[in-house]
Amino acid sequence: MDRNMENNLAQLKKSRRPGQLRLLFAIILVIVAVIWSWAGTGFSIPAIMRGVPRIYNFIIDDLIPPRFDSWQKFLNPTLQTLYMAYVGAIFAIILSLGLGIISANNLISNRLIVYLGRGISSFLRAVPAVAWAVILVAAVGLGPFAGTIAIALGGAGMLGKTYADSLEEIDMGQVEALKAVGASWFQVLTQAVLPQFLPDFFTWSFYRFDLNIRSAAVVGLVGAGGLGFSLDTAIRLFQFREATMGILWIFGLILIVEFITAKSRDKILEGL
Amino acid sequence: MKKVNNPLNEKEFKALISKRKDNLFYLIILIFMTFFLFFSLSQMNINPARVIRGFSTLSDLIKNMFPPDFGQLSRLWPLAIESIQIAILGTVLGIIFSITLSMFAAKNLTPIPGLGVILKGFFAFTRAVPALVWALLFITAVGLGTLPGILALGVNSIGMLGKVFSESFENINKATIEGLNSTGASRMQVFFQGVVPETIPIILSWSLFRFDINIRYSSILGVVGAGGIGWELVRASRMRDYPALLMVILVILVMVYAVEQFTGYARRVVR
Repeated sequence: MDRNMENNLAQLKKSRRPGQLRLLFAIILVIVAVIWSWAGTGFSIPAIMRGVPRIYNFIIDDLIPPRFDSWQKFLNPTLQTLYMAYVGAIFAIILSLGLGIISANNLISNRLIVYLGRGISSFLRAVPAVAWAVILVAAVGLGPFAGTIAIALGGAGMLGKTYADSLEEIDMGQVEALKAVGASWFQVLTQAVLPQFLPDFFTWSFYRFDLNIRSAAVVGLVGAGGLGFSLDTAIRLFQFREATMGILWIFGLILIVEFITAKSRDKILEGL
Repeated sequence: MKKVNNPLNEKEFKALISKRKDNLFYLIILIFMTFFLFFSLSQMNINPARVIRGFSTLSDLIKNMFPPDFGQLSRLWPLAIESIQIAILGTVLGIIFSITLSMFAAKNLTPIPGLGVILKGFFAFTRAVPALVWALLFITAVGLGTLPGILALGVNSIGMLGKVFSESFENINKATIEGLNSTGASRMQVFFQGVVPETIPIILSWSLFRFDINIRYSSILGVVGAGGIGWELVRASRMRDYPALLMVILVILVMVYAVEQFTGYARRVVR
């Protein structure tokens, strides 16, 4: 009995040691990273201490209360943000359906095409939406058109990958069965692949629409239309109470859209 | 009375009707979505001609980007490092404040019952306002530089991590807390001996995930003047120096990719 316990204890110690070593290593790594960043950015506690009262004064004196009578100024930009996010989502979905299919290695036998598809989506995904917006503003000019395309490209990167991953996880037995009875490629796609893919498709597409609202709210900071643009203008003109109103609009828009997408996603997934 | 030979029983019949209703519902949704798409396009003055023109100017611009200006690399490199450093400090700041605030936001740990609701509202607000907007506000308050960027990432991270951490604290085993309480442990002891060990895997994996997100944000914080490489995007595009613009994007790509590889590795080690 005693020996058994001693054995157990020894085993327990042995199994814990590498874990503790790794933990120690991780803690040291984090501390070194923080010191390195601290020195590199010139971050300092006194600067923070000086900053805190300034931030406090800025909030109390300049930001609140919001100028509620300026709400109309933000109505059109809010709608524009919604339009950009929505059209951006639809464009992204259309692009990603094609991208997703060619990136799924169970649907496309040509390895080269699969790698190409995967490569395009990871490139589109890795460039931040705001960076896309900078490029597109340079190409097509200021306004929501640039923002819409920027959001669509960023979204296509994410959806192209998630669609492809979901497509690769479908049950191939159904596909084989349809192929065996002589169904065409298109028939296999709509009859065997699509029904299995739909739940993931709706989940990811709605999630992307949520994310798009956030992107659409900030691409305006580089001139691509929507709430970001009005917010930037208000701050540049030192109309901080109006800016607070704009931030409340962003907050409200995100909450409402998240609520609606959650409801409709559940409703649709329930019916599938 | 003659019995009607109904091929469907009542249940099947109802199912068929409701299925037909569902189909009608989906059709209405689809029509509405299509209508809203064209309405949005017209509101934004996007039409096929403009799209075609846009793509031709975009392809001209892309042609002008090549070859990328590698001469910029020595100047861009330190800025990319600065972006990584901003992300590290912002994330650490966010983690520290999220854990502290979550102690007061979690229903089962909070000393004052009403406080949890207020803090959760605060998390929702800091989460919903985008990082770039926080940066814009902090710049107005403390001036240009890396500090507003770090603060913006920190505050935005609190919104997400605070929510996740406080929820994970609420889900811990009740017996753990009660056991520690019965031995007369103080509030801090309960937290560090009971709550933290049980939730550490969740804290670590979400913190790493947030670091991934913060790296992406820190690469663009500069567009509003909050430090790092982002400003170079705006500078190059204003000067119409497209080879430099491409170089900035390449540096951002390498930076994001390298950090993702690192966090991916760290995630495997943590598991």
